[in-house]
Amino acid sequence: MFENIPILSLLLIFPFIGALATFGLGKNPKVAKYLALVFSGITLVLATLLLTNFSLSAPLGSSFQFEEKYQWVPILGISYHLGVDGISILMVFLSALLVFLAILFSWDVEDRTRSYMGLMLLLDLGVLGVFTSLDYFLFYIFWEVVLIPMYFLIAIWGGPNRAYASIKFFIYTHVASLVMLLGIFALYFTASPLLGHPSFDMIDIASVAGSFGHYIQVIIYAALFFGFIVKMPMVPFHTWLPDAHVQAPTAGSVLLAGLLLKMGSYGIIRICVFTFPNITLEGQVLIAAIGVVSIIYGAFACLAQTDLKKMVAYSSISHMGIVLLGIATMTDLGMAAAVFQMFAHGLITAVLFMTCGMFQHKAGTREIPMLGGLAPKIPVLSSVMMIGFMASLGLPGLVGFMAEFSVLTATYFEWGLWVLIPIASVALTAAYYLWAMQRSIFGNLTTKIDTEHIHDAYWFETVPLAVLIGLIALFGIYPRLIMDVIVPSIPRILTGLAGVI
Amino acid sequence: MDYSALYPVLIMVAFAVVLPAVHLAAKSSRAVAGVSVVGIVASMGLVIYYMMNGYPPAMGGENTTLLQFDVFAALFALVFLSVALYVVLTSARYVEKDRHQAEYFSLIMLATSGMMLVAMATDLITLYVGLEVTSISSFALVAFRKKDKRGAEASVKYLVIGGMSSALSLYGISLLFGIAGTTNLAGLNTALAAMSTGLDPAAFLAIALLIAGFGFKIAIVPFHSWAPDVYEGAPTPISGLLAAGSKKMGLVLMFKVFLVGLIAFKADWQVVAAIIAILTMTIGNVVALQQTNMKRMLAYSSIAQAGYMFIAIAVASSFAVEGSIFHIITHAFMKGGAFMIVAALTYVALGENISDYKGLGRRAPLIALSMAIFLFALAGIPPLSGFWSKVILFSSAIDASQVAGQGWMVWLAIAGILNSALSLYYYVRVIKYMFVDEGTTKEKLKIPLSMCLAIGICIVATIVIGVWPDPVINVCEQAARTLFPAI
Repeated sequence: MFENIPILSLLLIFPFIGALATFGLGKNPKVAKYLALVFSGITLVLATLLLTNFSLSAPLGSSFQFEEKYQWVPILGISYHLGVDGISILMVFLSALLVFLAILFSWDVEDRTRSYMGLMLLLDLGVLGVFTSLDYFLFYIFWEVVLIPMYFLIAIWGGPNRAYASIKFFIYTHVASLVMLLGIFALYFTASPLLGHPSFDMIDIASVAGSFGHYIQVIIYAALFFGFIVKMPMVPFHTWLPDAHVQAPTAGSVLLAGLLLKMGSYGIIRICVFTFPNITLEGQVLIAAIGVVSIIYGAFACLAQTDLKKMVAYSSISHMGIVLLGIATMTDLGMAAAVFQMFAHGLITAVLFMTCGMFQHKAGTREIPMLGGLAPKIPVLSSVMMIGFMASLGLPGLVGFMAEFSVLTATYFEWGLWVLIPIASVALTAAYYLWAMQRSIFGNLTTKIDTEHIHDAYWFETVPLAVLIGLIALFGIYPRLIMDVIVPSIPRILTGLAGVI
Repeated sequence: MDYSALYPVLIMVAFAVVLPAVHLAAKSSRAVAGVSVVGIVASMGLVIYYMMNGYPPAMGGENTTLLQFDVFAALFALVFLSVALYVVLTSARYVEKDRHQAEYFSLIMLATSGMMLVAMATDLITLYVGLEVTSISSFALVAFRKKDKRGAEASVKYLVIGGMSSALSLYGISLLFGIAGTTNLAGLNTALAAMSTGLDPAAFLAIALLIAGFGFKIAIVPFHSWAPDVYEGAPTPISGLLAAGSKKMGLVLMFKVFLVGLIAFKADWQVVAAIIAILTMTIGNVVALQQTNMKRMLAYSSIAQAGYMFIAIAVASSFAVEGSIFHIITHAFMKGGAFMIVAALTYVALGENISDYKGLGRRAPLIALSMAIFLFALAGIPPLSGFWSKVILFSSAIDASQVAGQGWMVWLAIAGILNSALSLYYYVRVIKYMFVDEGTTKEKLKIPLSMCLAIGICIVATIVIGVWPDPVINVCEQAARTLFPAI
């Protein structure tokens, strides 16, 4: 269907035009909202079409689909090279979906609506670009483009301490990106003589990266890996995340946790593992350790939080640790499960942050000790929160369970009973969620806040949540829908290993 | 002799002479500025004509050249002329209530012609003449508002330091002449390289004097302390001219003297240049962090940017010079644009303190957006122009570090990247003030058309070079090659 249509470019162009249109024509907030909704809707439709037209029958380990490649800066070997495989296409769909829902969820933003909506679309452009580019340079540019709208979203529409949080977010992740950029340069300069021509192309570089000197490989790997785990973020580089999340507006948090964190883990799979599979294998215990420490640390930190949103933020660290653990196994199953967990976490965390935002909005606070017994007052919100928490703690039948279970299975195959350590964290996860739920929506009705005028969810809040919960249940009950997309692409990521094993 | 190499400069000089007469007839700064624009555009046209249809023959004596209008000269001529263009456009309204308008515009034209002369020079004498033409014109320009206390202080400071730097470089030049017996740059290199006994101690002194003399012009550490005071005190469009024009002329001087005339001894000055580069970028950025005045902050940021450009001297490769030239071009537009915005805002009675920019996003949305773009470009955020030039500059250091014995050069790239991260803080702070904080008033600001045009030129250049850097990189590469004919 898309033989002659550059659909990936269209995916990037529509959010961009949408952003310009919203900035330019959105003087009336209503117009701005509808423009943003329409353009993010078109993007979502395109992403869905892309997903449905994605060929699953392609042979195992086949190359990228919907590829587009044009020379951009020929002297330096920079090209405009886009393409998707089973891993990126899910992230593309997730991005388009979450941005659309986040825009809908922000229907009540009154302050500078057009800038807000325009920035959301710009963010969409950046994230989609990261997930589709196959050229290091292009990848880096989109990677940085994402920072700017997110900075403004936090800095303008954020909470009371937003100035601090936004600058911390910007500088922290920018420094990490610069280290990554150094790594990219080192890759480029080492690979170009081997290739015989300058090239920033990910596939070209990966084809010769195995013949770099071992020491160089480790150094480059470390630089790239550092850039990615700060974004993910893994302990001990996670400190920007709780600040950024707590201060960000709800939709900003949804996109931050749902998409920006995924950029980190996506980068590890697409770049670190794909380019240097053997180095990953050598360092797999260390990588797994970082993942497990993040899982455990995140879970313990959650127990200590009194702010619902901060708790959810720490739970993201814990759940992204599971992704890293899956990657560290370096097996087909573990890698596929890691991607699945990224997708699952994207859906679930969106529900969680939306719930937190609604508590802030309706009850005026997210402090757990201030809440209590609210379930009868706000039944819809409470049920949603319950489903979200259950999905996040890995209730069978929901999407989170399948993903975590697969990662843990892969871990067991790789390391045997060491898997008990991450499994222990599952109990912790259940503990903090159930405990938080018990204190905030069950028990006696709180007297610390005004519960008389508390309002349940509005339509523009219910619809996105319903969509997300529907998908969480659908993919939880029938995970093959997702796994079938991911699995054929995994061998390609691990091709470099074939020679060794 | 064929004088066609000199025509672009002569056009500028001719207009400089005519401008007072125009002012006598029209009595308006706008008319004078308009005529200046005609002159600048005519000169640009001629330069572009030369670029398209082949360069004029070199000028000079029988076996020595004095001026050579090649792709290097053409590229820099275009940069300097563009700077002059937006400075004149901004000044059209900026000086409308001042006296001596004709002299003001004449001096801008003359300063520009001096810079163009430097870009063409192949001989120490012509180089020095160009340098002095620019210096003397800019002394007067800084002193333009002589009743203004800060301006008067700045101009005296600039005059004293500028005079000293000229004296130092002249002394260095005379020493070189004494040692080598020639003032021709290429000849100088041959003569010095032929000395089998190694470098004369006097040559070391000459190199030190030249680094100091030109270093004042570029404002590299430790010769930088005049720059913030002068940029702050000068009329803002002139600050832009100094930062985007005369400072870049200093780098051209460095390229010509060190990379052409003294390249045989690069081992003797490379490490010094590297230390200066790292110190300059670091001190520039660290001090910029604590500035509260917009012009001073931009001045320190210029110092830091000069540090990045200085990497090319330390690396001394064609690729590095390509990056440096590219950065000079992008910097001319992004820093110049930022200064023009400060000038435009001063014109509509907004203060020069960074805190005065609070809430600007609502008062003048497009101007604030442009400022944000310039600042992001200066910080090196992709896909804006500053990102590309920094990429080439830093990657040239990494590239050179792969040559045996030059492994230390990778630290230049690392220092540059760390500094870029550091600089982000003070750039983003301004952006935060403009868009996040609320100002004391919400009254809209109306910027005159000619100023918008000047800012527009810079914005278009910053974005277009960012999205489509290829042609510019191409020309920069050719220009860099002219300095390294052997490669």
